[in-house]
Amino acid sequence: MKLLSSMRRQRSLLNCAPISARQLADRPMRSAISRADDSAEFVDQQNFDRAVAQLVSLISIPAESAEWFSEKDLVPVRKRTWRNMVRNPAVLAISIAVVVIAGVFVFNFVSHLNDFPGSATARKLLGVAASTRPVMLDPVNAEAGTLSDLFFMKHGLEHYDVPEQFADFGTIGCRVFEDDESRRIAQIWLSEKRMQLFLFPAERDSKSGAVLRFPGWRYVHQEGWTGAVTEHSGVCFMAAVRGSDKDLEPYLSQPKE
Amino acid sequence: MREVFRGPSGVPERKQNLPQLYRFCFLMLGDSRKAQEVFHATLREAAVRAARGELPSEPFWLFRDARWRCLDVTKSDLQPEWVEMEERDVATKAESQIQRLDPMQLAIWISAAPDPQRTALALFYLDEFDYREILEIAELKLSELSRFLAKGRRQLQAWLDSKFPQAGNV
Repeated sequence: MKLLSSMRRQRSLLNCAPISARQLADRPMRSAISRADDSAEFVDQQNFDRAVAQLVSLISIPAESAEWFSEKDLVPVRKRTWRNMVRNPAVLAISIAVVVIAGVFVFNFVSHLNDFPGSATARKLLGVAASTRPVMLDPVNAEAGTLSDLFFMKHGLEHYDVPEQFADFGTIGCRVFEDDESRRIAQIWLSEKRMQLFLFPAERDSKSGAVLRFPGWRYVHQEGWTGAVTEHSGVCFMAAVRGSDKDLEPYLSQPKE
Repeated sequence: MREVFRGPSGVPERKQNLPQLYRFCFLMLGDSRKAQEVFHATLREAAVRAARGELPSEPFWLFRDARWRCLDVTKSDLQPEWVEMEERDVATKAESQIQRLDPMQLAIWISAAPDPQRTALALFYLDEFDYREILEIAELKLSELSRFLAKGRRQLQAWLDSKFPQAGNV
């Protein structure tokens, strides 16, 4: 039964077999033709169809009708206006994407305008400052300036000196830890405004190994925290507070006498 | 007007081939003047729709539209008397017989066929569409299209034999 139906379908397909090869896209049709290719009946049918199609192609087009095929625009094609272009969803989507990408570039450019050697580490340490709790530090009740000796004596850290602007503030605790690049960082918690101080190795030139210096104080910002960073003797010092530059400015303006 | 014959992507549609549209009308009607009228009416309608931005998105709408116009025109004409047409197997000599016809004779013969056989023959011999496209335009099933084409060939062969009894025997 199935065979009969399949044969009937093949017969139907052969009756509709394309005249020229360019219409030969269908697989069942190709298969039906390949099976019937040698039959004289099918060859006659194909020759018959080709001759009729050839005759049809000779039908001439009257001049009045041929005018419709001219390149002339009988109906004015609507001009593309800027407004229409802008309303096109594709153009709109591309424009928004370009604006966002440009925004990201500008943001990155502006945020790196104030970069300085060690600014990346300073930002990371602001993140550390935000997550540090007092219990994580060793309790130390002393003046911040005196901890330089402790760092040298206990941890062998040279030039980990607290600048004189912050040297007189009392401390709550301190610790020395290694960051993800195995650099040794000293962290001091002050009682003053719950400020935190960090001392870490200054960035060095990868080829010469020379310290990359920068003059004065530089600000960095991260997650609502602000740090003021300076470099001295190959060690960077950062004072960090939750707040803005204004909260740190009074401490940096002048060295204490 | 170019816009009328472009697909949604703006690429001109091969399937909206205008010379073939005219030939289709001619085969359906067997009369150059009527074919022109239907062809122009179809394109005017298309132009109006294009101006309103209401062009149908379906690929063969021009041919479908022209088909119904052709059937409409022939409805009001004198109808041929129904006679059982003789049928003959397609012969090897058919090719030379067909070469002796002119297009007008073929168009008159096809246009005299009852629809939908007429539409099937006209669309098939345009050599513009594959069988699935013809099924879509003429709204036929494969078995129907197959039957109409096979019968059409046999009837045309019988007519050719009566018209050129000596062709191919030389």
